[in-house]
Amino acid sequence: MSSFITATGSYLPARVVSNEELAEKLGLTPEQIFKSSGIRRRHWASPREITSALGCTALRNTNVSAEDIDYLIFGTMTSDRFIPGSAPGVQAALNLREVPCLDIRQACCNTLYGLQLASALVTSGLATNVAVCLAEVQSAFLRLSPQAGTTSMLFGDGAAALVVSSQGEAGALEIVDVHLATDGKYVDDLGIRAPGSEFNGRAEPQDYEPRMNGQSVILQASRRMLSACQTVLDRNSLSIDDVSWIVPHQANANLLTQLARGLKLKDVSRVVSVIENTGNTSSASMGIALDTLRGSGDLKQGEFLLMPAFAAGFTWGAALCRVV
Amino acid sequence: MSLPQPVIEFLNNNAATLGVPQVAVDLDLFKSGALDSFALVDFVTVLEEHCGIRVPDAEVIPANFRTIEDIDRYVSSRRLES
Repeated sequence: MSSFITATGSYLPARVVSNEELAEKLGLTPEQIFKSSGIRRRHWASPREITSALGCTALRNTNVSAEDIDYLIFGTMTSDRFIPGSAPGVQAALNLREVPCLDIRQACCNTLYGLQLASALVTSGLATNVAVCLAEVQSAFLRLSPQAGTTSMLFGDGAAALVVSSQGEAGALEIVDVHLATDGKYVDDLGIRAPGSEFNGRAEPQDYEPRMNGQSVILQASRRMLSACQTVLDRNSLSIDDVSWIVPHQANANLLTQLARGLKLKDVSRVVSVIENTGNTSSASMGIALDTLRGSGDLKQGEFLLMPAFAAGFTWGAALCRVV
Repeated sequence: MSLPQPVIEFLNNNAATLGVPQVAVDLDLFKSGALDSFALVDFVTVLEEHCGIRVPDAEVIPANFRTIEDIDRYVSSRRLES
């Protein structure tokens, strides 16, 4: 039995924040931000826009009827509340049936984890149409100071939604394979420490903010995403020349360039990149890139898409899809 | 020093591109700007190709590649293990 991405949607908040608006607060120049990340602008939610609301809009934009959804997975690092997560908010706001609602928190790998779980649900017969919502309101957690400049310059807000179904018509994406892996010894190199039991009662203010060892992230992300791609290609007896599109997590444009070089891609324009205009939207980024690609009308029947990601944990992986 | 010429050439070329004129064996490649994180990823690939070693992902850390002396030591240790 197969599983298919049958619909996609995305949403970016109206407010656009340019490098020019941010640079001085972060102790950087607009060109420094662009050169080190490939980002020129990002969207930030208004104070009243909560994460589940972004996810709701993205899910509405799939044009899938609320009645048809029988399982909801919500991937975010910036949930509406500590408990419960954001999935119940979507269920209530969109009047979904009283279906299972699950939050996942695998950061920038949420799309891959969501796809693997959704695929397992539909191929096992436990669900027919799984909505995978991916959304972030990261702007609320960023410190706008030179001390946090190289981290805060990266992140944007946004949402994507993918509907995974047991049947796929022409234009759907068959989920051929998803590979995921984790090495937990890098837990302090990327993430947010608090709130959490490890720092209960002794958390410093900076423990509530994103922390990133950029060097470690770049080194490990470059290698692990590449190896994940190779694993998926090998076990499906494909080479990179068989792949038409790379739809990676949009972490940093320089990392996407590195990935293309490592994969020995002959045509780098096949790497889908939206980061210049969105920044790094973490959980939502791969879904936004995929929705953008589907909306472009460039996908052709039989084409393979390779979708690698890397996230806090560290955890990483890649998905392989084929256009029906 | 047992590093093959293409490895040294990669370092020299990368350093020249980044405006660092001379790469001495004890130069801190990261502090001097001769290597950055992205270049290190490419450099490790060159090292694997020309030194016949496999660098595990977990060992792609700057401490192993800080100077040419460090790199030489690291390559020797990998060769001994394989």
